[in-house]
Amino acid sequence: MNLAWKEMKKNKVRFMILGSIIFLVSLLTFLISGLANGLSQDNASLIKALPDGQFYLDEDADETYSFSRIDKRVQAEFLHTRKDAAAISIQMSFLSDDSGNRRSAAFVTSTASPFFTDVKSGEIVLDGSLEEEGIKVGDTLTTAQYSGTFTVKGFADGKKFSHAPAAYINMEDYKDIFNVEEMQLLFLPEEDHSTDITGMHSFSKEEFLQTIPSYSAEQLSLNMMVWFLVVISGMLFAIFFYMMNVQKIGLYGILKAIGVKTGTLFKMMWTQMLMITMTALLLSVTCSQLFTLMAPEGMPFSLTAQATIQLSLVFLVIGFTGATLSGIGIKKVEPLQAIQQGEV
Amino acid sequence: MAIFTMEDVKKTFTNGEVKEEVLKGINLTLHEGEITALVGASGSGKSTLLTIAAGLQPASGGQVLFEGKNMTEMNAEQIRKIRACRFGFVFQFAHLVPFLTVEEQLLLMFDASETTLKKHEQTKEIDRILKLVGMDHRKHAYPASLSGGEKQRIALARALIHQPSVLFADEPTASLDSKRSRDVMRLIRELTRTLDITTLMVTHDEDMLTYADHVVKMSDGLVVNG
Repeated sequence: MNLAWKEMKKNKVRFMILGSIIFLVSLLTFLISGLANGLSQDNASLIKALPDGQFYLDEDADETYSFSRIDKRVQAEFLHTRKDAAAISIQMSFLSDDSGNRRSAAFVTSTASPFFTDVKSGEIVLDGSLEEEGIKVGDTLTTAQYSGTFTVKGFADGKKFSHAPAAYINMEDYKDIFNVEEMQLLFLPEEDHSTDITGMHSFSKEEFLQTIPSYSAEQLSLNMMVWFLVVISGMLFAIFFYMMNVQKIGLYGILKAIGVKTGTLFKMMWTQMLMITMTALLLSVTCSQLFTLMAPEGMPFSLTAQATIQLSLVFLVIGFTGATLSGIGIKKVEPLQAIQQGEV
Repeated sequence: MAIFTMEDVKKTFTNGEVKEEVLKGINLTLHEGEITALVGASGSGKSTLLTIAAGLQPASGGQVLFEGKNMTEMNAEQIRKIRACRFGFVFQFAHLVPFLTVEEQLLLMFDASETTLKKHEQTKEIDRILKLVGMDHRKHAYPASLSGGEKQRIALARALIHQPSVLFADEPTASLDSKRSRDVMRLIRELTRTLDITTLMVTHDEDMLTYADHVVKMSDGLVVNG
């Protein structure tokens, strides 16, 4: 007999209250997770889109890419021995269009590499978000430190850095604008282990992302919120089932007295936990996916199926753990004690 | 024929350094199909004796033999199986499951006793027992809508639906008025006779003793007659 369902059917309000709390907490978790991922994309999609590999910064750069300067000789040797490697520079500045509108942009340049757009002098390739803002292929743009103009050659999707659209320019133009001779970092794709290079500090992709100003602070606080909500939902389960179990100690005792197995009582609790969590998750996943479709333009929100599935599984595991911990008391319930307690 | 034998059963409760001997060596035999009533003042040990016999708590000494098997040597699962399949319980309060209908209370007992009866046979048996306790018209009612007497009748039906060998009744009429008490006792006697069930009952109510085949009087942890 499905005791779990029978109890839920008879005590709809009690279980609906828990279900709605789990729904709200999980929805909030999905939304914050979507926001965290969206902001992460907005902050570093240029880097995240690269394959896993090693990044090398000047050892004196204090782990800050903008301070890094790669010695030309070291760069030449490195690129000579590793044909798939690239030297990269990124610098924040402004782009101005013909009507004088200024937009923040991350100017990116690199040596020849399949992972970076090859651009000729006087040309520029922009992140797709600028196309949505009205910039078209063939438009001319300029920047304060540059004497010439750039002609927009095309757009690349999902290339943002430090919340600004990336702007790929030719290496000579870059040196001209920022008045530098050296590149900032070296990138070696598909390399799990770092190679020791004198005077260089290596970073994995994930480590390099943490060096981007604001990235780690932003992600840390948002991820902390996500995990805090997950823990809260676990505690909610534990508290709710603990309260329910305390109220039902008499009932459990009687059921044990008449011979119902302790395992049956645990199954009842787990089934209830599963039914509540699955329903709440189904609703919150639906709502969060609807939010993905309806989110305002430009809002950094990205909730992937992988993140949704991962968080849903975490909710199920934490709900199961919370309910089980609170249910340990069921094992200790003495039938005799329940009988002596009086009517349940 | 003896179905239940208790030999020199002792029970001692320890509270800190204080040891209290509640049962001081009880010898008792229950015969098939008979109702045995345990009577005595509060604290005489009658409820403790009943719960030890029912496998709800262990004895500190002595033997409890059910159909010749020593229950004091059984593990918790073996005792649970006996409770589920061979024993029936009626307590002072009905202790019905609040979220199950009358029919479901009885189906639960079939589940607990791991019955081999098929669904339709279970339904037939439920109808039969509900008719016997005069509650067939409340088959789909929840406990909240039943009176005290009706609840106790359902508790009795639940105790007997799986056709146990022994019925343990701990003050089954204590929460009922005198008329309902007599009704319930009459029912216990009729059903246990019809179904050939051995009954061990604890009662304070001397009027109820008229329904018992044997009366065992207890005082200070000992049987003083019986």
